[in-house]
Amino acid sequence: MPQDTIIIGAGIAGLACARGLRQAGRSVVVLERARGLGGRCATRRFEGQPVDVGPMFFHGHEPGFLAALGEVPGVTVLEGWPHRVEGNGPPCQPGALDDFTRRFTFAEGMNAFAKHLAAGLEVRNQTDVARIQPIAAGFEVIAADGAVFQGRDLVLALALEETRALLDTLPPVPELASVRALLGMFFSVPCLTVIAGYPPDARELPWDLLYPESSEALQLIAQDSAKRRDPRFLTLVCQARPRWSRIRLDQPMVDWSPELIEAAGAVLGPWALRPLWTYPHRWRHARVDRSCELAGPVQVTLAQGQTLGLAGDVFAAGGGLQAAWLSGTRLANSMKEKA
Amino acid sequence: MNTMDAKLNELVERDREHECPGFGPDRVCVRIVAVAKLPSRFGDFRVVAFWNNRDQKDHIAIVHGDVIGAEDVPTRLHSECLTGDVLGSLRCDCRDQLETALQRIGALERGVVLYLGQEGRGIDLANKIRAYALQDRGLDTVEANLALGFRDDERDYAVASHMLLSLGIGSIQLMTNNPDKINQLTKYGVKVSSRLPHLLPPNPHNQFYLETKARRSGHYIDFSGTPHLQEQSDPVLVEGMLD
Repeated sequence: MPQDTIIIGAGIAGLACARGLRQAGRSVVVLERARGLGGRCATRRFEGQPVDVGPMFFHGHEPGFLAALGEVPGVTVLEGWPHRVEGNGPPCQPGALDDFTRRFTFAEGMNAFAKHLAAGLEVRNQTDVARIQPIAAGFEVIAADGAVFQGRDLVLALALEETRALLDTLPPVPELASVRALLGMFFSVPCLTVIAGYPPDARELPWDLLYPESSEALQLIAQDSAKRRDPRFLTLVCQARPRWSRIRLDQPMVDWSPELIEAAGAVLGPWALRPLWTYPHRWRHARVDRSCELAGPVQVTLAQGQTLGLAGDVFAAGGGLQAAWLSGTRLANSMKEKA
Repeated sequence: MNTMDAKLNELVERDREHECPGFGPDRVCVRIVAVAKLPSRFGDFRVVAFWNNRDQKDHIAIVHGDVIGAEDVPTRLHSECLTGDVLGSLRCDCRDQLETALQRIGALERGVVLYLGQEGRGIDLANKIRAYALQDRGLDTVEANLALGFRDDERDYAVASHMLLSLGIGSIQLMTNNPDKINQLTKYGVKVSSRLPHLLPPNPHNQFYLETKARRSGHYIDFSGTPHLQEQSDPVLVEGMLD
């Protein structure tokens, strides 16, 4: 059945956009490649213990964004987390640690935000979109398994490079020429990540987040278990620097994962070299670079009146989750106005 | 210190703890934070610095004569344009528009130029240059420019309105070729008593406005083939164009 709007990507931008449109009475379907929700705002469970794999905490100052986070039901808000930050390396988002920014996280995992945003929405998981095409007064979205979806309007809410790749499946539409050229000027940075689990009493660490200055490999080590109630493991999330990640991006995980643990050992001491278990994750497009920020979402009307919208962390100032949420919400608002 | 300086300095005192619900969708609020004399090649001015609650952008008012409590104050809104205002770029007409406004107001009894910070965050300037890069490749659309943040008019009007009210100006004569600006300012409670057309004196750099017809889109291309961006949300009018 044709929808008013098809949204590709159930990350924070796509879900915020879907929620906004749904509240305005539009029919919306969200197509998501993965099994879970939230995209890069991801939480994995290890023997029931949540571990955040992408962003470690929420930070922002936009009233709407903070209010939306305040509506997440059934979570324990750890206000002010990270309480203890060490090291002089740069945070992923400039401004994340400054005085005017509110910071907090959820004891249940960052992913609770996505689950909340998705409540009441129709999300089709494990739907990998292969291509998109304009049809009479709308769009057709074709999944890799052959499933076809039709809708009047279409929103791409993916990592920047994935949005570009889908736009490239469209026939050359003159209305989109400058938008495609524009997106070609922007880029995401990768982040190779390893989660390492240790016995809960392996070490008493005096920090929640460590930004090592000296390590060529590591941007951040997060003591994720510091967010959890009675953790079964001491969990460290080791996130690599963009350049280090880029060089190893296409190498097998078994090559770079131990290398990252070694780097953590060099920073923390030999005890960190022998975790009980590790879990590597490759963020190919982890986040936009700080030099790549657009002011707002893109909304293009094609010849037959259908709207193509673009949202995601590049489509609002500041990057990260706040930018993703803002871009999706603003796009929904402007699509509502247009209708 | 004459009375105008004393009165402006009182506004600094008054604004120390000023807080209000804010103007516009972003609920922007400004405070007068510093005032000084600014003699310039365009006349005798005072410069008034504003702080705002939203971003790191600096907004200033360039004031000539006694404007506090005055009616029908000639007023020009100018959005910061580093490439035009400072570097003398010919991709836009910002410098002509700014100089003309300052010259005119400097020769009148009183008046104000609101200089609205636009490029305070590094990325704004980088994105403007990205917009130029698109233009260099023959690509230029409203959608792309909007996404680049190339002009946030709504924010400008909210900031400008609050600045005028902070300065205690009773009513203004708005120097603009864009009548919609009057509605925008009126919406925020500014009294606009009339509009003064903002005509630029002809010079070698704007001669093409007199000699070429605007394309249907309203875009002008100069003699070098460079499209002129309308960066001041105010159509360019050169004396003689309307004849």
